[in-house]
Amino acid sequence: MQTDFILEMKNITKKYGENTVLSDVSLSVKPGEIHALLGENGAGKSTLMNVLFGMPVIHSTGGFEGQVFLDGQEANILSPYDAMKKGIGMVHQEFMLLPGFTITENIKLNREITRPNLVSRVLGKDLETMDMPAMARDARKALDSVGMSIDEYTKVQGLPVGYMQFVEIAREIDKTGVKLLVFDEPTAVLTESEATQLISVMKKISASGIAIIFITHRLDEVMAASDSITILRDGKLAATRRTSETTIVEMAELMIGRKGDAVVEADERPAPHEKVAMSIKDLEVDMPGEQVRGLTLDVYEGEILGIGGLAGQGKLGIPNGIMSLYSATGQVELFGEPLKLGDTQAALKAGIAMVSEDRKSVGLLLDQSIEDNIVFNAMQVRGDYLHRLGPFTQKDTAAIRKTANEMIKDLDIRCFGPTQWAGTLSGGNQQKVCVARALCMSPKFLFVSEPTRGIDIGAKKLVLETLLRLNREHGMTVVIVSSELQELRSISDRIAIVSEGKLVDVLSPKASDADFGLAMSGIKPSEHKEKGAGIT
Amino acid sequence: MTKSRIRRILAITLCAAAAVLMIVSGVNMPKKGGPAGQSILEDLRLRAVLSATGSSVVESYVDIAKKEAQQRVKNAGGGMSEIREAVEKAEEEVRARYSNSEVDITGIDTAELTAATEAYAKALKTYDELDSAARAIYIEAHYAEAEAALEAKHQQMLDAGMEIPENDTVEVDMSGFVPTAEMVQAQAEADQAYLAVGAAIQKIYPVLDEESIGTLKTTVKDVVYQVGDTFDTQYDRCVEQSGAKESFAGYLIRHAADILYTAIALVVLAVLLLFNEWLVDKLGIPRVIIGLFFILLCFMTLWCGLSLPSLMSNTIVRTGMNAVMVLAMVPGIQCGISLNLGLPIGLVAGLIGGLLTIELGVPGWGGFALALAVGSVLAAVCGYLYALLLNKLKGEEMSVTTYVGFSVVSLMCIAWLVLPFRSLKLRWPLGTGLRNTIGLDSTNFRHILDDFLSIDIGGFTVPTGLLLFVALCCLIVWLFSRSKTGVAMIAVGNNARFAEAAGLNVNKMRIIGTVLSTVLGAVGILVYSQSYGFMQLYTAPRQMGFIAASAILIGGASTSRCRISHVIIGTFLFQGVLTLGMPVANVLVPGSTISETLRILISNGIILYALTKSGGASRA
Repeated sequence: MQTDFILEMKNITKKYGENTVLSDVSLSVKPGEIHALLGENGAGKSTLMNVLFGMPVIHSTGGFEGQVFLDGQEANILSPYDAMKKGIGMVHQEFMLLPGFTITENIKLNREITRPNLVSRVLGKDLETMDMPAMARDARKALDSVGMSIDEYTKVQGLPVGYMQFVEIAREIDKTGVKLLVFDEPTAVLTESEATQLISVMKKISASGIAIIFITHRLDEVMAASDSITILRDGKLAATRRTSETTIVEMAELMIGRKGDAVVEADERPAPHEKVAMSIKDLEVDMPGEQVRGLTLDVYEGEILGIGGLAGQGKLGIPNGIMSLYSATGQVELFGEPLKLGDTQAALKAGIAMVSEDRKSVGLLLDQSIEDNIVFNAMQVRGDYLHRLGPFTQKDTAAIRKTANEMIKDLDIRCFGPTQWAGTLSGGNQQKVCVARALCMSPKFLFVSEPTRGIDIGAKKLVLETLLRLNREHGMTVVIVSSELQELRSISDRIAIVSEGKLVDVLSPKASDADFGLAMSGIKPSEHKEKGAGIT
Repeated sequence: MTKSRIRRILAITLCAAAAVLMIVSGVNMPKKGGPAGQSILEDLRLRAVLSATGSSVVESYVDIAKKEAQQRVKNAGGGMSEIREAVEKAEEEVRARYSNSEVDITGIDTAELTAATEAYAKALKTYDELDSAARAIYIEAHYAEAEAALEAKHQQMLDAGMEIPENDTVEVDMSGFVPTAEMVQAQAEADQAYLAVGAAIQKIYPVLDEESIGTLKTTVKDVVYQVGDTFDTQYDRCVEQSGAKESFAGYLIRHAADILYTAIALVVLAVLLLFNEWLVDKLGIPRVIIGLFFILLCFMTLWCGLSLPSLMSNTIVRTGMNAVMVLAMVPGIQCGISLNLGLPIGLVAGLIGGLLTIELGVPGWGGFALALAVGSVLAAVCGYLYALLLNKLKGEEMSVTTYVGFSVVSLMCIAWLVLPFRSLKLRWPLGTGLRNTIGLDSTNFRHILDDFLSIDIGGFTVPTGLLLFVALCCLIVWLFSRSKTGVAMIAVGNNARFAEAAGLNVNKMRIIGTVLSTVLGAVGILVYSQSYGFMQLYTAPRQMGFIAASAILIGGASTSRCRISHVIIGTFLFQGVLTLGMPVANVLVPGSTISETLRILISNGIILYALTKSGGASRA
């Protein structure tokens, strides 16, 4: 069978139990082209690549439906090693390099060139001598092809991040017979000039006939580097385009799209903007993987503010930084009073409560009862629910039980009773317990971080409705940080989009999909339109 | 057939067997004191007496036959060789005739002998009762003297640098004891009764002369009565003596109690079989296994004829004396430093408090209170420094605590040699430094808790004061865990990041927990020492941290979660298995040092087993 494509994945469907993560997705890559794979977090990019590499996670969960063709031949890829043998290489997002080894050794790791010697003739191939000059020659060739002039005997330890990325690429190129390379978000950790260099290297590699799949969320890089584009959305194929025939705006629109129906509909109202509840200036938070790098934002009293953005862009760092769970600098004022960063207790006392995104490791005492979880902060921070006798305190079991029962009823926590262990609850009910604990503090300002992550649709609805009710009935200012744009759009008054640790723009929930898509890839929609207008 | 059904059928079978055994035992048990048992016993006693006397009878017959043969050959005019031959032949014939050991009592009128032995037994019993009463009075009068003597002996042993055996008891020297007039009277009556027995025996065996009856006296006496006789001992003795075949009825009556124990064991087995899933679910496999082992040991003590009440009483005392040290694990686990294997810090602090009391010579409760106060303050200070170290090395607690525990013991080995204590009770008589083992006595706090309000119920002594003190410590720890600080501390141990998110100072809470654990260690070693009667310095505290950690793990705690109930259950099981295991091993393998080997095997085995379970079961 003759074909134009080096890789064809046809009608791929993958289910994890009941959950369909990929449905009927096809992807075709021609030899020597750079093919961009676009999509939001959870759109199915990683799963599709896992299928391509025959990762164990795919095979151990029942395999997938559909076919994969390599060079027109149907291929059954059993393992990542198998994929490597078939000429598919991967450049990882996190570097898989041994720091104490030289560049050459890293490039040739487990593919060393060896010469037989006296010992190896007796004891076998494993003890053959390494032919360092030959290995260095190979490494040099590979480094040259990615445009790196660095000495091949340098140790990887201490190299700049950008260099490590190139070493990684050189290693993949050095593998003989590589036909297809997958770059998983290669520019995420690079500086702008390094990114530009990387794109030119990618072009050079593709010119030599190797096809490239380029996974990224930076739309401008896609425009600059790729030949064709496949966009995934919610596990489905949204579109396949030639890069020359599309625009950034169209891609942004396709990437975001309208996803299903909103779980909750908020009544329309003019967004409150009279009084600033919290003003954040130059906030920098050192949260691993979610760094905030100088964010300035005002939150108005009585509004629901959504904070959106892609994973790893720093949106989660905002509440964690303000609550001082990670070291943070900057100026934060709450209702006009300056808030001291670095003191969680002070933030809690000032009336801020937070529902953490990490339920299991930050949000709950899994080994303790629901009631103890619910009243914990109120007891520790405000000294509620305690009997006192001089310096001695005892917890007031009756009062705790009463509050817990009320909360269980109000929030519809499904459990056997207030003494059930929090760890035995389902995700949604655990989240409700977290919300209940925040409410026990009767806060004036509520941070809710990823409130619906990993919980079922019924619980999702209830959690969102509760937040809406708290805002409308009690006038609580609520800031929701979420990866689910749809959810933010359904209940927020305004939505702030964060990219690379900075605020890109604050949009209305009714703004177009294209605007959200652009903002998420770090391009301010209004500026883009101006720029676009200027060019045409 | 399903597994559960097989299990149910098995359980029912076991229960049925148990019921049958119980009925058998229930029917036979009362017979021991009743007429049926008495008649069996009388019969056996008779056989035993006759069997004992029988051998002298045979000798008499042999004598007679020899004389007859000699006479006969002489009369016939035979030579010396013929006479010898005839005598030998006659002896052989007679011996062959009486060789079957079992005495045939049919056709013999035994009524007189029965009555006589009965009367003799009664007379012996009367004498014995008088004797023991008189001796008890004598012992009471001379006890204090003997106690002083023992203490002097211990002192001597200590001076000589010897270890003092744990179970050394006071023994009164009986050499000065003189029988009372009543006893002499009873002795005479007994002698009189024996004459009647002798007459009866002579009627049955006319060949026995007065002399042989006289020499048979001790044999008959041993058969008829021994001190502390019960049905069982008499039965066993008579069966052995008479060489008679036991009747089935007799066997059942004799072993009625054993049959009952077996029946109860079968019921326990059936219950376990039926509820094993529920039990494993509720208690966890480790507790079920060790609990079963403990129950097995309880039955073994019964089967081996050991005194279960006194062993149980021992178990209770040992549980009490170890419980506070095990309780010291609780704050450690709660605050997140997991098992506090650095417990020797607290133990050493407590020992110093105790030494100070002896040095200053503060007696009784005041001394104990002083020891507790000094020990606690020292432990708090050392515990604080220890906690600072632990806070610097988060995540490596298990190795850090172990290392600190060992180091402190080694360091103190030097310190014990140089600490400036002056009291001669503490120092080596020659050279410098403190003794290895320091005996406590009535002038300081020996048994001060154990003897407070202690109750004695038939061999089972309840150390009320000790139990009350342990309960008080448990109550304090429980109340603390429900205070604001306690709740915060438990949260820190449970999930440090959660606690941080609530604005708690994680390091401070860990310090509080570590200090509390160390202080409880100090209190614990003092409670242990007062009950043991000795304070052990140098390397003795090294193992105690592990013992305490194992006990709480066996009780059901994990390295991150524990309750007071785990302390009680764990200590009881650990000490119970040790206390019951050793005597049972001694009976099973008599005349060996197996018990000491076994003690080390069992205690280290439990520690190892417990540590493999240290992960515990999380509720998450």
